[in-house]
Amino acid sequence: MKILKPAKAGTLESSDIYITVYPNDGEGINIKLESIVMKQFGSQIKKVITETLGELDVENVDVVAVDKGALDCTIKARVEAAVRRSSL
Amino acid sequence: MYDIYIEEFNLSNSLEIEHFLSPFEIELEDDVEHTLVARIEGKIVGTCSSSGNIIKSIAVRCTCGNTGIGSKLVTQMMNHLFDRGIYDVFVFTKKTNTEIFKELGFREIVSSDKVVLMENGRIGIDEYVKKMFVKSGLGNGRKASIVMNCNPVTRGHLNLIRKASEENNEVVVFIVEEDKSIFSFETRIDLVRKCTKELKNVHVISGGRYIISSNTFPAYFLREEEKSSQYMEIDLQVFGKYIGPVFNIDKRYVGSEPYCNMTQSYNEGMKKILPEQGMEIIVVERHAINGIAISASMVRKKIREDRTEDIKDLVCNEVYIYLASKEAEETIKRIKESDFLH
Repeated sequence: MKILKPAKAGTLESSDIYITVYPNDGEGINIKLESIVMKQFGSQIKKVITETLGELDVENVDVVAVDKGALDCTIKARVEAAVRRSSL
Repeated sequence: MYDIYIEEFNLSNSLEIEHFLSPFEIELEDDVEHTLVARIEGKIVGTCSSSGNIIKSIAVRCTCGNTGIGSKLVTQMMNHLFDRGIYDVFVFTKKTNTEIFKELGFREIVSSDKVVLMENGRIGIDEYVKKMFVKSGLGNGRKASIVMNCNPVTRGHLNLIRKASEENNEVVVFIVEEDKSIFSFETRIDLVRKCTKELKNVHVISGGRYIISSNTFPAYFLREEEKSSQYMEIDLQVFGKYIGPVFNIDKRYVGSEPYCNMTQSYNEGMKKILPEQGMEIIVVERHAINGIAISASMVRKKIREDRTEDIKDLVCNEVYIYLASKEAEETIKRIKESDFLH
């Protein structure tokens, strides 16, 4: 899927994650993550985001994620929603 | 647990919100475009507003405890801005709110003793200023700097630029990018470039979004008398902390200000804040003709009064040619219709 315009999904509330995706010019996948559980789960959250993008065939995207302790399934859902919105 | 409702607030009836804000010593600014309120059982318990890409006038009643009202309000405001194509958001708030906004994904840019400026854009100030520098094509040598609006550029501006040019190896002139002046940004920078083309060590570039822009220099929530000094400090901190080091600026030139109080106190603030960041301030006496200091507002006044001949003494030839051209008709019409501050 191609990222055509900026789009977002999620909220800044507890146990959620706020995902924003932006198009970029063939610069691959860049993820900027902030999380309240960065030390424990930072790499795991990035992994889930990257995998979800892979499943959706997204090759080029800037992702900004503000995590409030979301579970993996939440992260996956938010990433997918943001990507689908951006490719409408 | 109470139900919290977040809704848009109709600004035509601002009394209720002003009443809510007054104990926080926060005002609803005139330039606010959109306001959200959180209500519990019909009573306002929190609010935030936006103006352009800035979120401000934020307050939550603390008796509501840790109910996440603030984050709900800010999320909704960010969604609102996002839908309007505003992706990079700034927040101006009390310094005590810094931690709350960090949790919401904002990064601190600078703070004065009372307020903090934060941002959440993809490209932060560090990266932005580096890009500005690369784009300018400038080398790493030491430079003097001048920040100007030039609405339009006068012989006074040129006098200041010339002096800096004579006294330094290289000079960077930042032109305020914000299009809130009568002469458009494109016209302002173009005329400065034309008037300074003889001065080979002078580089005229855009000030970008962090030099005297509505991001670094908004009218915000502090009470009038404190307002200007606080936001000037923010703007100057940004210049000293981010622009100066990247461009290797060790001096900032400024013309003395006989007319405008705001510019005058900005100059005073400069002398206080920039030397702390290792920058020397050089005040140059404003260029005068027959004992009267030249200013851009004087030029605009002459245009308003149709005394175009008098303008010849105040501006360089390129500006005079521009003013006589067809291109300038719209601008001249605007000048005659209004009276802008800067």
